[in-house]
Amino acid sequence: MIEVSKASFYYPNTDEGALNDVSLQINSGECVVLCGKSGCGKTTLTRLLNGLAPSFFDGKLDGMCQSFGLCAGEAAIEEYVPIVGSVFQNPKTQHFNIDTTAELAFPCENMGMNSTDIQERVRSCANEFAMEHLMDRSIFKLSGGEKQKIAFATACMLQPKLLVLDEPTSNLDYKAIQELHDMIAKKKSEGITIVIAEHRLAWLADIADRFCYFASGELQRQWNATEFLKLSNEEMQKMGLRPMDITSYRKRAKEKTKSEMLGSIPLMSAEHLLVGYEKKKPVYEIDRFAICKGEIVGLMGSNGVGKSTFAKTLCGLQKPIAGTMEPVKEKERLKKSFMVMQDVNYQLFSDSVREEVLLGANRPELCEAVLEALGLTEFADRHPISLSGGQKQRVAIASAMLSGKELIVLDEPTSGLDYYHMTQVAHLLNQLKEWGAAVLVITHDEELAAGWCDRVIYLEDKGKKNGI
Amino acid sequence: MKLRLDPRTKLFLLLLSNMTLFFHVNLITEVILVSILLSLFFFSGRYKSGIRMTLIYGFMVSAEFLIIPYTEGVFLNFIAMFSVGIRMMLPCVISGAYAFSTTTVGEMVCGLRKIKVPECIIVPSVTIIRFFPTIAEDYRQIKNAMAFRGIASGKLALLRNPAQSLEYILMPLLMNSNNVAQDLSVAAMTKGISMPGIHTSMTELRMTAADGCCMLAGVMPFALYFGGVL
Amino acid sequence: MNKTNKLTVPDLISIGVFTALYFVLVTIATFASVAIFPGFNNVVLPAFCALISGCVYTLLVVKLQKFGGISVMGIVMGLFFMISGHFIISFAANIVMGIVADCVAKVGKYKSKKWIILSYVLFSYGLFGPVIPMWFMKDAYVANLVARGKDAVYIAELFANINMVTFVLAVVATLICALVGGWFGMKMIKKHFVKAGIV
Repeated sequence: MIEVSKASFYYPNTDEGALNDVSLQINSGECVVLCGKSGCGKTTLTRLLNGLAPSFFDGKLDGMCQSFGLCAGEAAIEEYVPIVGSVFQNPKTQHFNIDTTAELAFPCENMGMNSTDIQERVRSCANEFAMEHLMDRSIFKLSGGEKQKIAFATACMLQPKLLVLDEPTSNLDYKAIQELHDMIAKKKSEGITIVIAEHRLAWLADIADRFCYFASGELQRQWNATEFLKLSNEEMQKMGLRPMDITSYRKRAKEKTKSEMLGSIPLMSAEHLLVGYEKKKPVYEIDRFAICKGEIVGLMGSNGVGKSTFAKTLCGLQKPIAGTMEPVKEKERLKKSFMVMQDVNYQLFSDSVREEVLLGANRPELCEAVLEALGLTEFADRHPISLSGGQKQRVAIASAMLSGKELIVLDEPTSGLDYYHMTQVAHLLNQLKEWGAAVLVITHDEELAAGWCDRVIYLEDKGKKNGI
Repeated sequence: MKLRLDPRTKLFLLLLSNMTLFFHVNLITEVILVSILLSLFFFSGRYKSGIRMTLIYGFMVSAEFLIIPYTEGVFLNFIAMFSVGIRMMLPCVISGAYAFSTTTVGEMVCGLRKIKVPECIIVPSVTIIRFFPTIAEDYRQIKNAMAFRGIASGKLALLRNPAQSLEYILMPLLMNSNNVAQDLSVAAMTKGISMPGIHTSMTELRMTAADGCCMLAGVMPFALYFGGVL
Repeated sequence: MNKTNKLTVPDLISIGVFTALYFVLVTIATFASVAIFPGFNNVVLPAFCALISGCVYTLLVVKLQKFGGISVMGIVMGLFFMISGHFIISFAANIVMGIVADCVAKVGKYKSKKWIILSYVLFSYGLFGPVIPMWFMKDAYVANLVARGKDAVYIAELFANINMVTFVLAVVATLICALVGGWFGMKMIKKHFVKAGIV
């Protein structure tokens, strides 16, 4: 069982506590969800529970945080290995090996088990989670959802007493979340204690026993599952939380697929388009597509269906395999468009925000106005990398606005965001729309699509070709 | 039944091919050794790379007989450097390619542990292999990002403004590598990479008769050469 | 975590990550020098590589601040050179230069710019490993050409000349390029990583 009493945690060089005087008890076999806005302290608590803080993530701990007899700050990180299994947010950086079987075997190898036992355990684990088809494969060839499944299975390999998950679904689509949900439910039924820090809450409705709400490092309220399910979406929004019930949003997003284009002159259009990286391996076929200035279009569809391939083709990074596009030339389209990548770190090149937005700008005279409009003026001299995720997104968008781009594509801009930060992104989309840009948002976020997109294009699985 | 050799055997063959350079064995000894190495590709089912390597080596050897006797002056220099230089490196390259393409990371780690390489060398080595694909992926992303910004695009940009282009490519790459290093450390630590005591391997390695035969076959040309037969 | 003076597992993983980057840059430099100077690529390689890899090396040194990091990098580089089919002496060259470079950087306590750049220069000479076989091969070249009916004296002159001149050239070029590369690396670290608060 877990006992946290009067725990406060301070990261180095900060005065404010990441956790302030938190007391919490979790019984064996319970499944507890930690929720709250970004920066509310829920990730810090998971780090105290799996021993990463303060031994890896440096800081000062007051009070006590004990998980299954191991006290944070006293027990070495190695003592946690057989007791606690951990799953993290980013599917790309969770695996230390390059193939799936080796990854599953990895914790057992480190514990010094003998080879036959390891093989037996890997086999039974693959069998338990029905993922024999994922064995002996390169992890780099798996989808985000499959990677998280492997990460979860690896966390279970040493048969831990506690599983700690830190935003495991932020990059996943609906189906992948369902599969992860089933794996967690299975472990819960075996009596394993589970702690999940999460923004997306809907999928947890039937496995969580208790919800703990954090704000500025404090544990503010706790509900049991039945009480929590009674909260209305409005109440949840007030707390900055994502809704428990997303069916209404999903329905509205679906309805928006029937909406018409807002203008009459398209900025870009395509007909009978076949996209893909190799001629013989087309990825997706789209009958017709058009987008005009001053509208926000959501691009939805399951993971790996071809959303990014399509977006890349539209932006001129990729030649279409067949079909007609307007503008025809890739170079023309590239000149007009900009993509805010999911990992925005790749697109920051300069050592100050001002220089960053002026780099390659065609309309430098607008610099101060755009910085002001996006709330970046006070950061103008900071290094872009030292900003928060949302601020980095805005820096990238500011640079697109200054280079006079007309089509702005955003790749999953709200993944891993709470309600409050999601509305901020939505506000940004509206600003872009008013600025006169055509905005295309690749997203899994039904709430965003339902609330803020003018129309939605849904890439159905039936248009999918065999490539990739 | 495809041939699977122990990584230690592959290491031994790698060392043997280095000997050809070290002792300046004559061409015939080298050709015999290389033929043995090349046959391993075929026994292991790596037909494509086997054929490719055979063609390259065959070309280099024949160049010596067909081209060099008929060239003079500066050209001689170039061609000699090229054909002799590359040909003499080829035994190492061939055995290296064989070792690299037929060994899984698991086997490599197990092999390194068996020959008592310390963990402080094994951990970075595994990380390197793990990180190569990430570098390729990151580079693609950065290239796309640069295209959107219209910076350093075009083939000549790198030559026109090398320092700047290098900065634009390397800085995001290094920033991300730094983040990945932290995430990987966290992931590996919670999975017990820093556990004290012996780390085992799921892969089992055992020296078989095939390993013995290959090592003997590899030593043979040298024995014949030093014995004065070749 | 970085309280001890011994290398920890996160340190080793960082070393792995940065060595992978270094290795990729070496590979790029190899292809570029083969394309630009075929035949003499091994001679140009160390200099070219030293020019572009400064950032990677200096960032690792500034980040780790511990003895052993550069040595491990050298050893692992050597190991990878060997497995990828380079001559075994490359292995030795990388290890020796790695340890020497580590000691030099330690003199400046892994903080002094001058000592870090100097250690980078020395580390870059580790890349001379792949050039060394040229000396082993020289006699073989000559023997080969004689066997194909060329004039022995003429050939010997030709190659002796080229080897000495190219060797000196390579050493000097590497020195200059490593100084520039190291200086550029330190500048980039100050400009980006220090400003962003990462190191």
